[in-house]
Amino acid sequence: MFKSIAYKEWIKIRLVVWVALGLGLMALINIFLKVRHDILFVDAANYWYSFLFRGFTYFGILKFFPFVAGLAIAIAQYFPETVNKRIKLTFHLPVSENGVLISMHLFGALVLIGVLLTILGLFTAGSAIFFPGEIIRASLLTMMPWFLGGLATYFLVALILLEPMWIFRGLYTAVAAGFITIFLASAPIGSFRPVLLPLGLITLLLAGVVLFSGYRFRKGEM
Amino acid sequence: MIKFSRYLLVAVGILVASIVIPSLYWTIFEKVPRSPNTFFSCVTDDFVVVEGSSRKSPEGKEYTNEEYEKILPLMFYRQLIADGTMPDSLKGVKLEMPAISRASSFYRYTPKKIDTPVPSLWPMFESQSGKVNLVMPEDYFRIGKRMEFIVARTNRINEEKSVLFTDAMTAEGFAFPAGIVAGLPTTRKSCDEGYFVTDSNGSLFHIKMVKGQPYVARIETPEDFDIVYIEAVDIRSKEFYCYIFTANQGIYLLMDEVYDLQRLPVDGFNPAIHSMRVSADLFNKSIHVYGENWYEAIAVDDRYEVVGTHGDRWENLYERSEGKMFASIFPFEIRTKDDNSAHVRFYFLPSPGYRWVIVNLVALAIAFLMIRKRGWPVRSNIPDLVITGLTGIYGLIATQFFPNKFNKFKPPVKK
Repeated sequence: MFKSIAYKEWIKIRLVVWVALGLGLMALINIFLKVRHDILFVDAANYWYSFLFRGFTYFGILKFFPFVAGLAIAIAQYFPETVNKRIKLTFHLPVSENGVLISMHLFGALVLIGVLLTILGLFTAGSAIFFPGEIIRASLLTMMPWFLGGLATYFLVALILLEPMWIFRGLYTAVAAGFITIFLASAPIGSFRPVLLPLGLITLLLAGVVLFSGYRFRKGEM
Repeated sequence: MIKFSRYLLVAVGILVASIVIPSLYWTIFEKVPRSPNTFFSCVTDDFVVVEGSSRKSPEGKEYTNEEYEKILPLMFYRQLIADGTMPDSLKGVKLEMPAISRASSFYRYTPKKIDTPVPSLWPMFESQSGKVNLVMPEDYFRIGKRMEFIVARTNRINEEKSVLFTDAMTAEGFAFPAGIVAGLPTTRKSCDEGYFVTDSNGSLFHIKMVKGQPYVARIETPEDFDIVYIEAVDIRSKEFYCYIFTANQGIYLLMDEVYDLQRLPVDGFNPAIHSMRVSADLFNKSIHVYGENWYEAIAVDDRYEVVGTHGDRWENLYERSEGKMFASIFPFEIRTKDDNSAHVRFYFLPSPGYRWVIVNLVALAIAFLMIRKRGWPVRSNIPDLVITGLTGIYGLIATQFFPNKFNKFKPPVKK
C-alpha cells in the first residue's frame, strides 16, 4: 500500500525534487568555488579569521534553500490535490483516511529530509577540505535552524493547502509565517544552540498537523 | 491524534502571538528611558551628572557649558587648549598631552559577553618578533586534550609546535582541556601579550609565544576563585593585562608583569545581569555598575582607594506608563532575543502583578459567547476556555484561528 502511494506521490513531486536538488548542488558548487577563490586571494589564515572573529559566513546563500525546497515540495504534492478537491478520490478508497494521508505525508517528508541531508552531507564534506572541525561544527549549528525551518515549512504549507476554507488558510498562513520567521532570524554564528532542541521538538510534532486540515477537508468544511 | 494536532497548532499559535504582538506593542509604545551619565571631575573631586542638556553636581548645582568643560579638563583638553584655558598643572602634576592620552582608557562589560558563542580557535602571535607591526600567524590553536596548532593553508596540525606548547603547559601543571581562553586576536594592538587561559581545574595561566618558544606562567589566585569571564585589554598605560570577572567574588585586574590581582571596590556585582563601564584618566578611574534601572558610580584614585560614590535609580520598564499598560493587557510575553544574551532562546517574561487577569477574563467571556453563539456544546470546549483563561489574548486568537469543530460532526467510523 505504502509503495503505491509513494509512487503516486513521487510522480507529483519528482520534478520539483530534482530541481531542488539541482539548485542545492549549484549553491554548494558556488559556495566552495568562492571559498577556494577567496582563500587564494586573501590567504586561508585571514579567511578563517573572518569566520572566527568577524562572523562572516561562507554559506549564506543556503539560508533560504530549505525553506524554498519545503515550500515547493509541499505545493507540488498538495496543490494538485486541492484542484477540484481531487484528494476526495483518495479518501474514498477502502482504506483508512488518516492512514492514506499519513503515508502521503510521510513520503513527502522523507523525500524532503533526503534532499536536505544530501545537501548538508555534501556541505560538510566540502567544508572538511578547507576548514577544521570547529568551523564546520559552528557552521552546521548556524545552518541547523534553517534546515529545521525547511521541514517545518513543508508541514505547515501542507496544513494550509489542505484546509478547505480560504479564511482559515489565511489565518494559518499568518501563524506559519510568524513561526517560520523564528528559524530564519538573523543571529550570530552558533547562537541558536540553546533553542535548537525545543524548535526541533516542535517541528517533529508539527509532522502530524496535516491531519487537522485533512479532517476538516473530509468533513466538508466550506 | 487529530485533536492533539489542533492543540499543537493552538500552542504554536500562542507562541507566535506572544512573540509578535508584544514586539509590535513595544515598537509602537516604548519610550526612551532615563539614562543619566556621570563623570568624575578631578577639579571638584566630585561627580558631574549629565542628563539631556543639563549638567549638575550631585547636590544639584547647575554648570554652564564652559564650567562643565573646565571641571573635566582631562576629557575636554583639546577644547580647553583651543580656548587657552587649559591649566598647566593640577594637584602638583603637570598636565601634558602625551601623559593625559596615555592614562585615559575606556572599558565596557555587558552580560552578553558571558552568554555568547565563543570561538574555539585562536591565532597565537609572535610577541617579541623585534618588528613594530604584528603579523597574522599562519596557524590557529585550540586547547582540547592538548594544545594543537592547525595550519590554515593546509588544514593540518603542526605536530612539532603542538608538542612544544603542550609540553610547556604540562610542565607548569596545566590540566587539559582549557576552560576560558581570552586574548586579543587582532594585529591592531600595540603589542601582543598572548592569552589568559583557565584550565579544567579553574587555575589561571598566561600563555604566549616568545621568539617561537612557548611562554607559560601559572598565575596565583585566591582559593575558590570562580572565574566566569576574562577580557584582555590593550591600554596605553600598560597598567594591567585584563579584567577578570568571578561568579561572586567581584571583579579583578591582572596587573602587568607582576601578575598581582587588584580587586575593584565593587560589591555585589553579578556578571550575569549587571553591566560595567570603567573610564580611566590621569588621576582617577570611575567605575559605573548598571542594573536594569539603577547605576552606581564609584571613583577610585591611582591606588584603587574609593574617593567618591554616586548612584541613581529610575523607573523600570514595568513601572513606566507603557510598561504598566503592557502588564495590564498581556499575561506574559516570549522573546527570542534578550539584552543580556547573544543566544537565541525562548525567553519567557511573565508580566508583574495581576492586572492582566481582567483582560484574560474578558477574553474568556468572548470565547464563551462565541461558543454559545455557534451553538457548540460548552463541555467539549472546556480545554479551549481554560487555554484562553490562562493565556488571555494569545489564547483567544489561537483558539479562534484553529477552530474546534470536532463536536459538530460525528466522524463516520471506517476501518
